[in-house]
Amino acid sequence: MSNKRLGVVVDGAFNSGLTVRLDPGVTTEQLRIGSFVVVEGQRNRYFSLISDIHLKATDPRLLSDPPRATSPFIAHTLSGTSTYATVEVRPMLMLEKPDESDPRALLEMRRGPQPVKTIPIHFAELREATELDFATVFGKEGGVYFAMGTPLTMDIPICLNLAHFVERSDGIFGQSGTGKSFLARLVICGVIKSKVAVNLIFDMHDEYAFDKQTEDGRWVKGLRQIFGPQVLIYSLDEELARRSGRNADVTLKIGLNQIEEADVILLSEELNLRQTAEATIGLLRDHFRGQWLLKLLQMTQEELEEWCKNSGAHAGAASSLQRNLKRLQRQEYIVEEAPFAALDDMIESLDRGKHVILQFGRHNSVLDYLLVSNLVTRRVRQRYEEKTRRYEESKNPKDKPRPLMITIEEAHKFLNPAVARQTTFGIIAREMRKYNVTLLVIDQRPSSIDPEVMSQLGTRITGKLTEERDIDAVLTGVSNRNALRGALESLDTRQEVLIMGHAVPMPISLRTRQYDEAFYQAMGAPEASQGPEIGIRDLFGED
Amino acid sequence: MRIGEIVETTSTGFVAESFTLNRPPPLGSLVAVSLPAQDMEIYAVVAYGQTVGLDPGRRAVRRSTEIVFDEAIYHEHPELKHILRTEFGAVLVGYLAEGQVWQHLPPQPPPLHFSVQTVETGELRRFTDHLLYFRLLLSYNGPVSPLQVLAANVREVYRQRGSDRAWLDVAAREIATLLKNDHEALLTVLYAIDPGEASAIAERRGQL
Amino acid sequence: MPLKLGAVSEQIEHMAQAMAALSPAQEQFLEQAQALLRSIPADALRLKLEQQRQRQVRFPWLVATPHGSLCGAILAHPAPVDFCVIGVDASSVPPDRHRSVRFYVLNVGYAALTYGRYADAVLDAESQLYFRDEDLYLFPEKRDVPIEGTLLNARMEVESLQTLQEVIQHRAHRSSGERPPIVALRDGPLILWTLQSEPQEVQDKLLYGFLQAMSSLRQSGIPLAGYISYTDSRDVANSLRVWICQESPNECEHCKNSKRDLCLALAKIRDRDLFNFLATGERSELFASSSQILERYGEHRVDFFYLNVGGEIVRVEVPHWVSADAEWLSLLHAVIYDQSRRSPGFPPYPPALLEAHEQAVITTTERRLIEEMVERALGLHGQSVLRSAKDDSKRRRGI
Repeated sequence: MSNKRLGVVVDGAFNSGLTVRLDPGVTTEQLRIGSFVVVEGQRNRYFSLISDIHLKATDPRLLSDPPRATSPFIAHTLSGTSTYATVEVRPMLMLEKPDESDPRALLEMRRGPQPVKTIPIHFAELREATELDFATVFGKEGGVYFAMGTPLTMDIPICLNLAHFVERSDGIFGQSGTGKSFLARLVICGVIKSKVAVNLIFDMHDEYAFDKQTEDGRWVKGLRQIFGPQVLIYSLDEELARRSGRNADVTLKIGLNQIEEADVILLSEELNLRQTAEATIGLLRDHFRGQWLLKLLQMTQEELEEWCKNSGAHAGAASSLQRNLKRLQRQEYIVEEAPFAALDDMIESLDRGKHVILQFGRHNSVLDYLLVSNLVTRRVRQRYEEKTRRYEESKNPKDKPRPLMITIEEAHKFLNPAVARQTTFGIIAREMRKYNVTLLVIDQRPSSIDPEVMSQLGTRITGKLTEERDIDAVLTGVSNRNALRGALESLDTRQEVLIMGHAVPMPISLRTRQYDEAFYQAMGAPEASQGPEIGIRDLFGED
Repeated sequence: MRIGEIVETTSTGFVAESFTLNRPPPLGSLVAVSLPAQDMEIYAVVAYGQTVGLDPGRRAVRRSTEIVFDEAIYHEHPELKHILRTEFGAVLVGYLAEGQVWQHLPPQPPPLHFSVQTVETGELRRFTDHLLYFRLLLSYNGPVSPLQVLAANVREVYRQRGSDRAWLDVAAREIATLLKNDHEALLTVLYAIDPGEASAIAERRGQL
Repeated sequence: MPLKLGAVSEQIEHMAQAMAALSPAQEQFLEQAQALLRSIPADALRLKLEQQRQRQVRFPWLVATPHGSLCGAILAHPAPVDFCVIGVDASSVPPDRHRSVRFYVLNVGYAALTYGRYADAVLDAESQLYFRDEDLYLFPEKRDVPIEGTLLNARMEVESLQTLQEVIQHRAHRSSGERPPIVALRDGPLILWTLQSEPQEVQDKLLYGFLQAMSSLRQSGIPLAGYISYTDSRDVANSLRVWICQESPNECEHCKNSKRDLCLALAKIRDRDLFNFLATGERSELFASSSQILERYGEHRVDFFYLNVGGEIVRVEVPHWVSADAEWLSLLHAVIYDQSRRSPGFPPYPPALLEAHEQAVITTTERRLIEEMVERALGLHGQSVLRSAKDDSKRRRGI
């Protein structure tokens, strides 16, 4: 185990962190902003993050007149002595060291890392974190501890506490190309494996169920291929159901009767609805109740004018609304009337511990995605509310609804400040934790998401972000923003993420684990040598 | 080997008359004064050397001719060897007592008229394994700037330790630490002790 | 500062002007004198000087009797490959009448410089404190004739030669095999003319040691010479005056000689100017000195010659046993000229004498030191040190 000393504490304040002078011979280039380091105090071990790196010189004249044509010898001598570096270190957690002279203290169960309550004194040693340090802080893999990857400078698994992860809504962010859906798949695998929650995934681009070619040309397995029949596949697209080997289990139809006012309002932008649309829909609902949309779409020009006269609605607005909403009717998966049974079946499956992926197939426009996701989620929410009430009444553990994690992409469409208050997702993000439903929002523009929603996110996993507003948004409500901002900015585009929040004891930058054969097997997938066909046959055999 | 006799002595250094005219010990070299009675060995670093008339009132004059010059002058004027003297000053840098090396000023100045001796390599290694004595060198005030004395000492020790590059690196860092607030002074010393590319190449070859 | 430097500097200027004005006339007389030197037959001059002496004419001046031609010039031979020059010089801390204790210190410095294949040098001094009656008085039983002033100087000369003698004996004792030629040089005259005015018993006492030492040197086979730099002597010029004098040289006031002007000019001409025709390395012929004291020198009677050492005409005095030996004389001439070549300064001065002087010299600090040491030693032995009031006031210089 390496225990490499990096420097000593020379300055600091509890509020602003510690300044550490790097030892001669330690170059700044072997350290990274946001990397996990350890300060050895006299009584406590401080698990810390590097928040900044400064270059200094003992004599300011050196800076104004750097030596010209310096020999390697002189450069080597000056670095670390006359010219040196300091790093700003943020203690995040501390661990009381056992008093080794006291055998009782050694025998006592060690308490885990605690929030930082003090800082170490001068000349405390800063060192690289060891495997033991990581394990102490992030836990050992297994159970609810799910290895997400390794630290940037070391090959040690860093674990996410999935039990904590699903307790609250979470976010996965990163500009495009940072592998968000891959990250989501990784986390979801963990959740499935550890059985801490069931998943409902709105799979806009058909990425989660079956194998898929990555950007570098590799084929990676889908959840169905890894977890078999534990994962059910619903689809909006009938064609998907007919595909051999990677067919959907259920084709979902949406009835006009199921579409509510809020669904339509959410689609205002997609449907080019005017400001007046909301008022008009209100009048329609008053008049036709649950049939309002069907009735509106069935009305002829004359009937509509007649209705407008009777109800006092603006004829132009109503006519425009009708015209715009006819787009919905034209969608292949929309039927005039559909029973809620299909959706309820799905919810029951979830309740039995199955995981559901809803594929959109060809119907992957934003309109489809918004409409269906919102509609389905609303139903889920209603059912979970009911279940929770029932459980609260009966207090029977069997009635306790399984924790559910709903994964949505393009989350800002549902959660932007304009609509977040009305959409079911907005409601879930803000208050549904109590009904055991949480969100896993995936987005590349976190700045477009309602700040109130952002601040509710328990755990954030973020890849590289370059837009200032997005970085600010991701760091909403996080302490030590400056340190983390540096860490975030310094991430590589690929495979590197910063994890912070509820599921980790302290923020940490990671290189995400490989999503490969070893991973599938760790998740309990059938042997690769059997080939995908056999895998799928097994899967059906069991069904 | 005895190389001179102390003719002036203080708590911080001494002046000795060299046994060889015009050839004082190298600037910066480590010399020793043995005090058998106290079982003590006092160490000093040569801080300057000079050859002057025995009588401070007499100035040297030109003696060369077209055919008699350089070494021949001393042959043509045998009295020169008797009216000139070469002396060297040395800064006290520590002592060996009770089997231990101390790098601070000895309790007493070395006695007048005692012999100054060279220090053999093993002893030099032992003494220069610690570098606290650099501080004493830097605080010395003499005809040669303390920076140059320090540099000369480092060069000399580096050479006597058999071009010990590891030692040189440690010494250079120690100097950088001591002169951290005076960049110019630091560079002055570093330029003067830089072993140059040749040594780096030689060392690499040695490693191979 | 009571010395009025302003006034003195003005007078210095006047002096310089007067000298400059005098020069052309001097120049002319010098040429006449040198012409005379060339024209006088040495035999005739010798004869005239002899006649005068026999007639008991007491010259008011010292005259030189030429052994050879007056205007002869002899070039130095090259010095031998291996040889040794021993120079000797002395200085003293004279007795101080202001002090309660009476003592003096003599310091004889010497430099033995060996050249050639065995080049070497020995520079040292013999120092001695004298405080006993037999040292302090020439006649201690009567506590008569204190040794001070002229007598002390003479005493110093004696010590010098004795030291020289001892050094040589010591060296002879040490060295075995073939000895390179040695030349002994002392700074100053061999003619102790200052003793001339002393009573005969005083002269006897002092000269005895001096002549003893010279005899030893002669026995050891070492030529001795006195080296007189910047000499003021006019012995040869005076001889010229005797030559042109028609009357008695004691009656100049009544002189009607046509060459009276030249005669008076000769009184101002020094021999070193007269012999300025000598080329570098050349010496004059030998002359015998007429100094009265020499009558007591016997075999050590002193002859002299002038020598151009390059930049200066010096006077070299040698005992007759040296001048009579052509080989020794030639060696001496060669060595002295060689010494001048090796001199670090200009005009040249023999290094052997220079170093001997350096060894001999007693600095002011050393004088003070001796005084302090004496006082301390006396104090330790319960002797109070009394100084005269004058001496005390000089030391304190209280305001």
